Amino acid sequence: MHDTLKFDPIRKELRGVLMTLGLVAAITAVLFALVWEVGLAHGSVVYLIPVVIAATRWGIVPAVVAAICGVLASAFFFYPPLYSFRIKDPQEVIDLILFIFVAVAVSQLATRLKRQLEMARQREIDLRDLYAFSRRLAVAFDVSDIHAAIEDHLASVMQRNVVLFPSAREASNSSGRRAGVVVPEQVLAEVVEVASGHRDNTAGATVTAPSGEIWLVRAVSPKNREFGVIAINLGRESKERSDELRVRVDAVLADATATLERLGVAHAISEARMRSQTDQLREALIGSVSHELRTPLASILGAATVLSAAPALRNEKKLTALVHDVRDEAERLNNDIQNLLDATRISSDGVKPHAEWADPTDIINSAVERCRHRLVDRRLVIDLPADLPLIHVDPVLVQQALIQIFDNAVKYSVSGSRISVDAHTHEGHLIISVVDQGAGLTNAEKSKIWDRFARGERHAATTSGSGLGLWIANAFIAANAGKVTAVSEGPGLGTTVAIELPVTQTAVPQLESDTDE
Amino acid sequence: MSEPSPIVLVVDDEIQIRRFLRTGFELNGFVVHEAGTGAEAIRSATLRPIDLVIVDLGLPDMDGADVVERIRSWSSVPIIVLSVRSSEAEKVHLLELGADDYVVKPFGMAELLARVRVALRRQMRAVSGEPTVKAGPLTIDLAARAVLLNDKRLTLTPKEYRLLQVLAQHAGNVVTHQHLLKEVWGSIHVHDTHYLRIFVRKLRQKIEPHPDSPKILVTELGVGYRLVQSGNEVDAPAWPDAAPAKSET
Repeated sequence: MHDTLKFDPIRKELRGVLMTLGLVAAITAVLFALVWEVGLAHGSVVYLIPVVIAATRWGIVPAVVAAICGVLASAFFFYPPLYSFRIKDPQEVIDLILFIFVAVAVSQLATRLKRQLEMARQREIDLRDLYAFSRRLAVAFDVSDIHAAIEDHLASVMQRNVVLFPSAREASNSSGRRAGVVVPEQVLAEVVEVASGHRDNTAGATVTAPSGEIWLVRAVSPKNREFGVIAINLGRESKERSDELRVRVDAVLADATATLERLGVAHAISEARMRSQTDQLREALIGSVSHELRTPLASILGAATVLSAAPALRNEKKLTALVHDVRDEAERLNNDIQNLLDATRISSDGVKPHAEWADPTDIINSAVERCRHRLVDRRLVIDLPADLPLIHVDPVLVQQALIQIFDNAVKYSVSGSRISVDAHTHEGHLIISVVDQGAGLTNAEKSKIWDRFARGERHAATTSGSGLGLWIANAFIAANAGKVTAVSEGPGLGTTVAIELPVTQTAVPQLESDTDE
Repeated sequence: MSEPSPIVLVVDDEIQIRRFLRTGFELNGFVVHEAGTGAEAIRSATLRPIDLVIVDLGLPDMDGADVVERIRSWSSVPIIVLSVRSSEAEKVHLLELGADDYVVKPFGMAELLARVRVALRRQMRAVSGEPTVKAGPLTIDLAARAVLLNDKRLTLTPKEYRLLQVLAQHAGNVVTHQHLLKEVWGSIHVHDTHYLRIFVRKLRQKIEPHPDSPKILVTELGVGYRLVQSGNEVDAPAWPDAAPAKSET
């Protein structure tokens, strides 16, 4: 469809006429041979063949050309006197006039049939688009789903790059690249103008990008601003062509907005917007509360470390111990706040890993480093083979998951007990396990430890914590296509928590052979 | 002490943070200037001689990154950024803008002091043009292109040496993945992190006493690598008086 829209109609007509002439010539040659060999009288009726073909294939003009050429060829080749356009017998003149009449009538009928067929096909496509569109609207969850559905629908109906901007803010924040389409800056500026209502824009405005492409910018619906503003790339077209396209855009948009209104999309959009505003408010609240809590903590922790190293306190054992308490508790509070922030991040917009090729040894070492002062009075045994494969993960997320697991191991084990960390590969997976000699897990606990805010009842009175740690670890590892498992022989017999991450051995990019020459 | 006291400019809008930093620095023999806004910081840095700048990223009047960029446009004074966690991309961005190092809030004074000393020493070496860099048992002679481990000369491939050379030129500071890849393999490979991983592993086999728990060429997860100088400074525990971990590694 894209091609036919662009195709020059005159050239198309000309091509049809040329094809028709070829067809007539071919028929004439065949007839001529038949008359010569078999002694066929004359065959003007046979010229109906090119007429019908031309009418169904190329339209009315080539069909009429076929009829006229057919008559001329019959007169010239087959009616005496031969090789002249004169015809002797008046009966034969009537034959030919009759032929022309029939040919024109047939071509009329055939072209009409063709047009109807095309319309039926177009209607079917439109219906299918519309059906797909309404189905997407029905399952749309939030405003952006609805907007994406509108955008895709218009793009598929128009067969053009279409970008929909829900609001002026989206347009001005946009980097110019949306849905894989690069929108030139001038177009963005126009979108902002239209979306913010500075311009009365029913018919839309066209903007010519530096590349020479013409963009049409207009509100999806002149009545309802909720539907947003669209920018359509009309391509490099002549003035008349782009006017033609604009008429089509108007028609499609009128259709689309009618559908949107019938389906109550405006209402759905405002409802979804309200829902997301509630979510945003909650997130903002948690975000600002934790910021407000963390800022003074930074001062408390910093001041405590200055105090603990101060010469004046050097020989004051009891005071130094107090300062250390301030420091340790502040740090614990900071970890709890961080966990709350992480939990909010996970449940609000999911975890978005920034994957890169990472060395598992680095991840484990840096997690140990970060926990070092918490692991101080445990016997730490680390066993890492030298040939661990590189993994494609977000190393910081995996490290944070490991830190949570270490924290848990420390929390539920006694001073002086062993915590061992080892890593190995098994059936295409890298497995990092943390083994403690701590409280272990009962069967009931095993089923619950991955829940949010899960706290072991046996430890609720003696151990502090929010119950978020393992839930966060699990979410961070899941975001990297891995999983976390916990195994325990039973209460008091220690716990093994294992992180399992996929090793895509074949996908590890190979170093080019000359990188170290 | 014959050397003059180093002068540090502390830029943070929180007066409590400035207060503990001032006390912590003064106890360690620094002279402290303070600034509460970005504009004040830039003015202060132009008016007075300063040996080091500490910038908080959340300033009321401008982005901490802008302060880094503005100061860097005319001065090579070491800059250490105070940032919050969970934004490795931001750290990389700041290092590329010219910050020398970053410390994540909340932090202990000992950790910050260690970073500050590294930055000051690097600045001094840059001024004096000292060609050898020492990192624990490792000596890198940048002029002679020689690498010695416990006074024994090591054989490195050209790429391994180049990697170590770039790290040594920034000894003590984080060097971002992108910077290393660009310097060693060229601009078209800036996203091929796996090159780095593989070569760092090879290099560690040669220079680290325990390659599986590196102490010289250490990883800054999600950001880059750091060549740790003479062991005990950056590597010191964040809490100065914590007993060393009883690690059996």
